[in-house]
Amino acid sequence: MSLYKARVKAFEDLLGNDEISLEKLRKLCFNGSMIMWVLSLISCLQFSFAGIPDTNGFRSLCWKLLLGYLTPKRAEWSVLLKTKRDLYRQLINEMVIPPCSNNDNQCSDHPLSDGPESAWSTFFKDNEFLLQIDKDVRRLCPDISFFQQATEFPNLDIANSKGVRRLHTRVMPSILSSANVERKGLGLTKISLLTKRAPENYEAMEEGQEAHWEVVQRILFLYAKLNPGQGYVQGMNEIIGPIYYIFASDPIVDYREFAEADCFFCFTALMSEIRDFFIKTLDESEGGIKQKMTKLSILLKEKDLEVWNRLRDQELYPQYYSFRWLTLMLSQEFPLPDVCRIWDSVFADENRFKFLVDVCCAMIILLREQILENDFASNMKLLQNFPEIDINVLLTKAAAL
Amino acid sequence: MAKKTYDLLFKLLLIGDSGVGKTCILFRFSDDQFTSTFISTIGIDFKIKTVELRGKKIKLQIWDTAGQERFHTITTSYYRGSMGIMLVYDITNEKSFENIVKWLRNIDEHANEDVEKMILGNKCDMPDKRIVSQDRGEAIAREHGIRFMETSAKANVNIERAFCELAEAILDKTSGQNTTENAERVIVDHRGQDKQPAYKGCRCAVE
Repeated sequence: MSLYKARVKAFEDLLGNDEISLEKLRKLCFNGSMIMWVLSLISCLQFSFAGIPDTNGFRSLCWKLLLGYLTPKRAEWSVLLKTKRDLYRQLINEMVIPPCSNNDNQCSDHPLSDGPESAWSTFFKDNEFLLQIDKDVRRLCPDISFFQQATEFPNLDIANSKGVRRLHTRVMPSILSSANVERKGLGLTKISLLTKRAPENYEAMEEGQEAHWEVVQRILFLYAKLNPGQGYVQGMNEIIGPIYYIFASDPIVDYREFAEADCFFCFTALMSEIRDFFIKTLDESEGGIKQKMTKLSILLKEKDLEVWNRLRDQELYPQYYSFRWLTLMLSQEFPLPDVCRIWDSVFADENRFKFLVDVCCAMIILLREQILENDFASNMKLLQNFPEIDINVLLTKAAAL
Repeated sequence: MAKKTYDLLFKLLLIGDSGVGKTCILFRFSDDQFTSTFISTIGIDFKIKTVELRGKKIKLQIWDTAGQERFHTITTSYYRGSMGIMLVYDITNEKSFENIVKWLRNIDEHANEDVEKMILGNKCDMPDKRIVSQDRGEAIAREHGIRFMETSAKANVNIERAFCELAEAILDKTSGQNTTENAERVIVDHRGQDKQPAYKGCRCAVE
């Protein structure tokens, strides 16, 4: 049996149990190696950092389990999934579809009403952060075309609304200023009509269709509405991107169909662990981003004093590079498949974000020769544009720290 | 150790609302390329470019910041060391222009008092979508005594010129020969419309 086949079988066996041991799953996902209890014949296999195999929707399922969305008991899943997906549907209908767009003519609320009860006043307030989400989802993972493609499972109420219920329609440049008057010289006036604004590739879809980026926009919008204290912060798009991508390309059609709802809950679960990174007022607090960056610095000092000294002498502070690394869980530093592979281990790590710090530290140490040689500017460039690397080498190094 | 390949080092900072094109401006200047598919800047980014001004090799260390409010505690720590700040708004986005005042207040609070400032109205290649007139940009710059230019990272209008003028202003200051008269502080540039050849005031060499 090849190593790969054995790995697939290990996942198959474990995930096929009526009750999945989370402890075993964590170990398996963390490094993907064959652990003794799976194949007792092989007592100590080479530590192979292969992660979750890219097959059978394993990753999609394992992430749901590791993030606590699915419970270990398989028998509970169908009820649980139905409840959650129904809830999501309800939330979308109540909070995302704009007021009075359902064809009832008895709507008493009026867009110009500024009473605190007016759904419209909330509507206009929401548009402010919706605009930011709109900008960001249109530049999500631009190196793959996935997010610009149509989903197989659009929200038909929205996709068939002649654009009215699409979120981004709400933040199109104001309809009132759709004519632009330009004066040239004396008396010569040119009136030009506004053309559509969306960047070519992230155009909205035809009636009846929705692009994946529109779906992600909806999830982020709902999340921001449900978490008003936090709202939407740039970078959340980079966190949700890989999760949605994995769920929406699940080979199992049922999971694919409900990728949106499942992704919303998994994203919410993940954010509950890392949201402090996204809140400015918590920067200094325990669990805030500054403390994480300090942890990384302390670890580096302990593991490679020479490199640490070098960076300190150059006044190349950890926040210059590690703020983004940690906040986005490395999602902007590596190609998507590698990001997914890193996240397998990060999600499987019980003290989850300790391993993330280990990986960041390993990244620096792997570049030690260059760092010791380079000047400040070259080191900045190096750390901000991390070179291509064999992800297994990196993870093995991180685990060995 | 690499030997010193420049005479002076200037630290510049790009600030402004999210999505106004800060990263594109910097990419145009440093790599002479344009792409509309930049991912959002989280925290801070960094580029280097060496230019030659009055026979001096000047290394520009340019910091590109995230625009969103959340990142301000991280990004304002970079104001202090900056010798020049470019404040960018988007001529097709009213809000980004209104926020100029807010950004100027940020500079007052966090930057060195004598920092050189410049306001850039970016995306001037999109006249159809223009919402902020050039007059308004000039007016706010005049009011605060700051240089102003309209730019386009996409069409490569005034990008190099903006960086070089900012560098030149810093050079004037550092060499003590402050020849810039106040009346000329607001530099109004109409080349964007006239499509004149790129500014040749300084020679830029990619490091």
